Amino acid sequence: MSYPIKGEHLHKHFKKQVVLDDVSLTLQEGEIYGLIGPSGSGKTTLVRILLGLEKADSGKIELFERRPTLNAFRSLGYMAQSDALYNELSAYQNLEFFASIQGMHGKEKKQRILEVAKAVDLDQHLQKNVSNFSGGMKRRLSLAAALVHSPRLYLLDEPTVGLDPVIRRKLWTLFHYLKGKGATIIVTTHVMDEVAQCDRVGLLSTGRIIAEGAPKALTAQYGVSTVEDIFIAIEKEADGN
Amino acid sequence: MRNLFAMARRIIRQIVRDRRTLALLIIAPLLILTLVWYIFGAKTAEPKLAIIHYESSDYLSAFKKDDYQRMSALQARQALADKEIDAYIDLKNPVSVHLEGSDPSRNGLVMNKVQQSMQKIQQINVTSMKNQLTDVIKAEQKGMMVQQQTIRQMTEAMQRYAPGALAQIMQQAPKTSQPEEPKTPEKVSLDVSYLHGNDDLNTFDAFGPAMVGIFVFLFIFMIGGVSFLRERTTGTLDRLMASPIKNYQIIGGYMIGFGLFVIVQSFVLTCYIAYVLNIYNVGNLLDVLIIVFILSFSALSLSILLSTFASNELQMFQFIPLVIVPQVFLSGLFPIDTLPGWVRAVGNLMPIHYSTEALRNIMIRGTGFSGWWFDAAILILFSVVFMIINIFAIRRSRPVTD
Repeated sequence: MSYPIKGEHLHKHFKKQVVLDDVSLTLQEGEIYGLIGPSGSGKTTLVRILLGLEKADSGKIELFERRPTLNAFRSLGYMAQSDALYNELSAYQNLEFFASIQGMHGKEKKQRILEVAKAVDLDQHLQKNVSNFSGGMKRRLSLAAALVHSPRLYLLDEPTVGLDPVIRRKLWTLFHYLKGKGATIIVTTHVMDEVAQCDRVGLLSTGRIIAEGAPKALTAQYGVSTVEDIFIAIEKEADGN
Repeated sequence: MRNLFAMARRIIRQIVRDRRTLALLIIAPLLILTLVWYIFGAKTAEPKLAIIHYESSDYLSAFKKDDYQRMSALQARQALADKEIDAYIDLKNPVSVHLEGSDPSRNGLVMNKVQQSMQKIQQINVTSMKNQLTDVIKAEQKGMMVQQQTIRQMTEAMQRYAPGALAQIMQQAPKTSQPEEPKTPEKVSLDVSYLHGNDDLNTFDAFGPAMVGIFVFLFIFMIGGVSFLRERTTGTLDRLMASPIKNYQIIGGYMIGFGLFVIVQSFVLTCYIAYVLNIYNVGNLLDVLIIVFILSFSALSLSILLSTFASNELQMFQFIPLVIVPQVFLSGLFPIDTLPGWVRAVGNLMPIHYSTEALRNIMIRGTGFSGWWFDAAILILFSVVFMIINIFAIRRSRPVTD
């Protein structure tokens, strides 16, 4: 078993505010790991640190069991909270650009673009300008841009926020499909019905992972019906002490 | 290499598909330069002048009716207050000039014109003095002729009654020689020659080189800066950072992508000022093109650098008064030789300063490579330094890997 991503004892603070307080996290190959927690709990910061977009104050990161290098980014798909698309360009041109900087070219690139466009249901809209896209379409295109180079590891920061339930379900089908092909996915989310679809979840609260494990095992352990309730249960425990 | 061109290709596509930006980049500088051309290239206006108390004046002939309206004192004062005339001249002795005075450049024009008239007044004075002298001389000559007549009569009388005494007097008398006719003085005229330019050189010809620099710099600065800033604000820079693209490929891609439009812009602009606006140019047009092109690169690299310190478009535009406006004033548009040393030192840090110097050397002084290579080299140095800082600045966005 290899570990696509591993973070050990990560600390991070902005000015006086502590954002991450000794967070350790190891992903296993081929799992969907859900990072859940209220907003402001440090989810996005954790993802950015794992990616190398931000530097942790202390701690160690490994990507594919090595110190992160530019080359590791080739096997990595990142989707941020913002859509991060070029609005002046067409959907096709966007995908074409992101595929190119990932080192794809020629026929392979073209084929792959059509493939991912179909996967996110945008194959009919490839020639349209992104500025004419709806919010949901942009979100899907943004995901397609993260998929286009068929990475082995996905870091998806709130990929389904603001999408309607039908598309949301479709995307999760896609995530399971990617997982089936051997990819590892770490996904942050608010939505609790998505949590149940993860293999493992990590509960992040005020910069600490307060619980980690398979959703079912966790709910059983705390004797609650939903993962959401675990937050409340732990809080009560803390008050009780 | 492939990444570099993928970057460049994307930027070119973005600009081509964004008509507004394209227009701002290529057409806007032409429009503004045309406007500047009309303002500075226009013939200097004639001042509107009037004279009063002219009826009994000897000097009236120095003030032509075309240039000076005839007015009564009251009319003139009213017209001056209403800004219908720029000045009036009171011909009552001593002659006095009354100016409207609110616009220094018009004051200068008025004084120029009035001085020309004053020269004529002096000529009139000289002529009248000459006439008076001539009259005096003529009167004396008349007196002398009468005396000569008397002497002639006396000589005749002496010849008759005392010829011996006469012969003695004639021998002793000193020989008088006829005085030579005075030579008329040669007319003195001023022979003006120009080392550079000619007397047709108008303000636009002199300002043109600086103006070209300022507008090229301004538009490239805005577009380049905002476009790189967007990369940051929309999150696409993060996506780039989470890809194997190298930092220098990002900056290089920007330079190449924008470079293409900069070439087009420099070419269009240079041809426009040379062939449409007919700016005074004795140098090689290709040299002008090269300087404009190099300047654009320093504008682009500086704008990308400053966009690092801006978190939105507004903050980017807040750099304009800080970065562009001082350059306008210190670019060489206005003489800076008399400014304090530290201001001149600041001026030496400004890219437009060098482009103006180089363009003036080329267009007005007609110097070749030897006249502008130094300025061009400094501009290239600016670009290179800005680009290197840029590459390091981006590094901050990807701190973990190298």
